[in-house]
Amino acid sequence: MSGVALAPSPPGGAPPAFLRDARALQRKLVEEYYGQLASTETPRRPVAYMLVGGNLTEILRSFGYDVVFPEIVALNCAIKHQSLDNILHAESMGYGLDVCGYVKNDLGLQDLGGKTSFGQIPRPDLLVCSFSGCYIYVKWWEALSESYGAPLFMFDVPYMRDETPRKEDIDYLVSQLWELIHLLEKRTGRSFDMDQLKRVLAESRRAEDGWVEYLRAGRSRPSPIEAYFESIFYMFPINVLRGTPEAADFYEVVNAEVRARVRDGNYPLPEEKYRVLVEGVPPYTNYRTFWDFFRKWGAVSVVATYPKVGGLFDRGFRHDPSRPLESIAEYSLGAYVNQSWPLRRKIIADYVKEYQVDAAIVHGIKSCRSFTAGQGDLRDWLIHEKGLPTLYIESDHQDPRYFAPAQIKNRMDAFFESLEQRRAVAARAGAVPA
Amino acid sequence: MSGAVAGVDIGSTTAKCVLLGEDSRILGKSLNPVGVDIVKDAERALEAALADAHLSRSEVSFIAGTGYGRYKVYFGQLIVTEISCHARGANFLFPGTRVVIDIGGQDTKAIRVNDKGEVVDFAMNDKCAAGTGRFLDVCANALGFDVAEIGPLSLQARRAVKITSTCTVFAESEVTSYVSRGKDPKDILAGLHASIANRTLSLMQRVGVEPEITFTGGVSQNEGMVQALHRRLGAPVNVSPLSQYLGALGAALHGRERLSGGAT
Repeated sequence: MSGVALAPSPPGGAPPAFLRDARALQRKLVEEYYGQLASTETPRRPVAYMLVGGNLTEILRSFGYDVVFPEIVALNCAIKHQSLDNILHAESMGYGLDVCGYVKNDLGLQDLGGKTSFGQIPRPDLLVCSFSGCYIYVKWWEALSESYGAPLFMFDVPYMRDETPRKEDIDYLVSQLWELIHLLEKRTGRSFDMDQLKRVLAESRRAEDGWVEYLRAGRSRPSPIEAYFESIFYMFPINVLRGTPEAADFYEVVNAEVRARVRDGNYPLPEEKYRVLVEGVPPYTNYRTFWDFFRKWGAVSVVATYPKVGGLFDRGFRHDPSRPLESIAEYSLGAYVNQSWPLRRKIIADYVKEYQVDAAIVHGIKSCRSFTAGQGDLRDWLIHEKGLPTLYIESDHQDPRYFAPAQIKNRMDAFFESLEQRRAVAARAGAVPA
Repeated sequence: MSGAVAGVDIGSTTAKCVLLGEDSRILGKSLNPVGVDIVKDAERALEAALADAHLSRSEVSFIAGTGYGRYKVYFGQLIVTEISCHARGANFLFPGTRVVIDIGGQDTKAIRVNDKGEVVDFAMNDKCAAGTGRFLDVCANALGFDVAEIGPLSLQARRAVKITSTCTVFAESEVTSYVSRGKDPKDILAGLHASIANRTLSLMQRVGVEPEITFTGGVSQNEGMVQALHRRLGAPVNVSPLSQYLGALGAALHGRERLSGGAT
């Protein structure tokens, strides 16, 4: 999320647009975060490792924990082209070619001592497996627990089968949250402070409001935001710093800049030819190359599912200080990849309408089953049931060996060529362009 | 000035060029292997087609590039993917085409097209070479044959063996294992062709199988592969001596359309 490399100049275009102040502030927040993690102060704050999906950061934060998100550390390594060494090291430890790239990148990094170009990643005092929908993730946390001798707290989150969370699921999760709270009290010697948690949740809510305002800007035509390639940078505060005033303030900066973009007519591309929905995890190792493949055709991602992995706030959910634990339970249930496929399809179909989408691009991850399984069927469903031109391409989020630029570019060029042709034919026939 | 347009298709193993006259008649064509200097290969392809057509460079009004090396056709005015070009070329030769199977040196594509030769949907093999011309090259080599021989030989098989591996590397091992067990090389070759036909069918099913089916790319010149696909599909496939040129032909057709102010 914190890539700092200069953007390559795409053919005939300007460098990718970013919200300048927001991007600078995001970098500062990322640096401060990793600086805090690398702190050598004694006694240092306790450290918990947690997963992004449905994370319980507010509870951990209320007990004074520093929270490490190994998925985010891994993607930071990948975007800075540092993932392959870690992955190869994990493979030398015995992890197979088809094991999740996040897992291998992180386990390789940990075994090599946790040193990255953006800071030393501290050892965990506690492992909180906050997303149980991916079996490989559960095994990842078990491996870390065994490696570090740190206790593992399994937060067992049932899949979402219906649009509205079931009461028995909420009750089940709240009972586990109390178990976690008692464990944290025991480990820190601190008493749980419900009022403190409510204050943290109020800040979370403020950040969520700001994040949603940003995401919904993609509904405008043209879109003032790039909802996939640009948003992956602005996800950091909502996922990692949620519950702090800094996170909430960050989105005020973001939204002020978005409003300025609209006022000044300064859009992600000079001409928005195609409004695209993107589903799937980005190929972090080659994300700017991938972005150029879109830009070349005047394609702007106006909405994407990936920025929702930390929560479906744009679908209405907010943390609620008046129902602290219940709303945290609802949040965990509502993580994007915790939705059943019928629910995911409904979300995507709604996005297609709300954001006036022309086409969808689905990026599958070879080594990921929790996000990717079912995406082939999604492609067929979008084409045949929704009449939406949809392209499925595949590479990897962490492993650069699986990104084949010529093949991916070829598919994307052919896809946009066919869209262009359809538009031309429709225009000749006097029909409304697709 | 002649109204000739050129389509230059720089594939992974061969460079093709087709020159098209104003009446859409093919004036000349060329086919050469590609080396490490793709820019020169593209120029040579054009020069060879010009020689074949007895035309000079100045008589060519428009040039379109396609194939993996399309961005190296620096002297062209239009770049189009080979997916769009094979679709257009197949439609030109066989107007009833609804699905194009293009098996080239390093990839296999299934392209669904409409009655105008426009791409409706497509699917391709991923990064690996399973089921491509390269797959046949490697296996022919393992059996000590030239790739041009294996199609006719496969048609002489009495009992095709079953090749279970789709990976080129593993299939080569499987071929070696059959050889060591004394299997007739013709039966092994028939098994290899059937294996590619199976893989091609599964690719086609991703875009929808619908007649007519037109087979393009270098492997379409392999009669054993044509028959294997026919058997697996239970339907004939269109092939032509020009099938290997359909990418270049399609590029020339796109060029012609662009020249006349059309929508390419």
